[in-house]
Amino acid sequence: MSALAPEGTDASGTSETASELAERLSRASVKKFWNVYAAIGWPDTVNPEAEWFMSPELVSIHGTEAWERLDEPARRRLSFWELVNFFSLTLQGERPLVQGLCNQMYSRQNAPITDYIHHFLDEENKHMVMFAEFCNRYAGKVYAQKKVALTKSYQRGEEDVTFFIKALIVEELGDYYNVVMLRDERIAGIAREVNRIHHEDEARHIVFGRRLLRELWERYAPGWPPETPVGLRRWLAEYLRASWADFYNPSMYRDAGLEDGYAVRQVALASPICRAHRERSSQKLLDVFRETGVLNEALEL
Amino acid sequence: MSSEADIRAKLRRWILVRAQAESGRELHDDTPILEPGLLSSLDVVELILFIESLRGEEVDVDLIEPEAFTDLNTLYDTFFRARAA
Repeated sequence: MSALAPEGTDASGTSETASELAERLSRASVKKFWNVYAAIGWPDTVNPEAEWFMSPELVSIHGTEAWERLDEPARRRLSFWELVNFFSLTLQGERPLVQGLCNQMYSRQNAPITDYIHHFLDEENKHMVMFAEFCNRYAGKVYAQKKVALTKSYQRGEEDVTFFIKALIVEELGDYYNVVMLRDERIAGIAREVNRIHHEDEARHIVFGRRLLRELWERYAPGWPPETPVGLRRWLAEYLRASWADFYNPSMYRDAGLEDGYAVRQVALASPICRAHRERSSQKLLDVFRETGVLNEALEL
Repeated sequence: MSSEADIRAKLRRWILVRAQAESGRELHDDTPILEPGLLSSLDVVELILFIESLRGEEVDVDLIEPEAFTDLNTLYDTFFRARAA
């Protein structure tokens, strides 16, 4: 990837530059610095059939016929495996984020924001430790991702734009779930706690990512041939749908005791109830993409 | 475990439906299936899950090279042949 564009005036009207924003976020990160190995009181065991682990309304098949067929303990058990899947896919989404951020450090152009990238990396690493601890301690595994990396050529700046689009998708969708769950007193305390901790760091990462995406778009997109933004928007729509599809993990359904996890996934992906949930949960993210100009029309999810 | 011909037919049908290929389009065993062929890299995730449903067990993606997704021959060889032997 090429270097980021750290300076400029925000299209929303604020005159704070990206480097000034990075300084402010760095001060906040220092103030809120935490130790992932000491901050969380992990219960020795959890009981997936006795407690909710994900808010029932966030469970991927909530409201569908498959959901209605489950009794209360089975719904709670599914909510546990849904949370394991959610933490796994967030962890898996943070891996390439960390890799990409490392590549941005200490270039001449990125000197003003490198200090904040150190915090960003530190916090993302701690999130991965925290999510892996939950998944391994209580489920005995982290769900694998199924993505296969294929090479692709980019216009100037397009790879950076793509990187921050991916970052915002994993962070904004994750944050929607975090905020719902950290406030939900029905779910297990450890589930609320992990969601709360993640949200507190992610709020800063999202502000930073939104700002950089806007600057990168304004800097590079005007110089691209017309087919590049068209292709990028097509890719974004597919990538967002694929990111949502990760929430309907056949292995997760099987682990929760549902027969034929692949069929459950196909039915849920096609369900208008589930689509309405995806659209509702994506609203803030899509607003960001529209406000920056990255998107210029509605997406069907 | 289904026969090789059955598995190839299911893979062929899945790829053509996923790619929204026009009626009558043929997919030979050596037709490239990735861009600029029929499927995008994002479709590969769905394809892996479909392959897992056919195999009845998960695929360890870390052990798979991108070349596995070249065509029907490489798909069958990578994900099914060793298990059928």
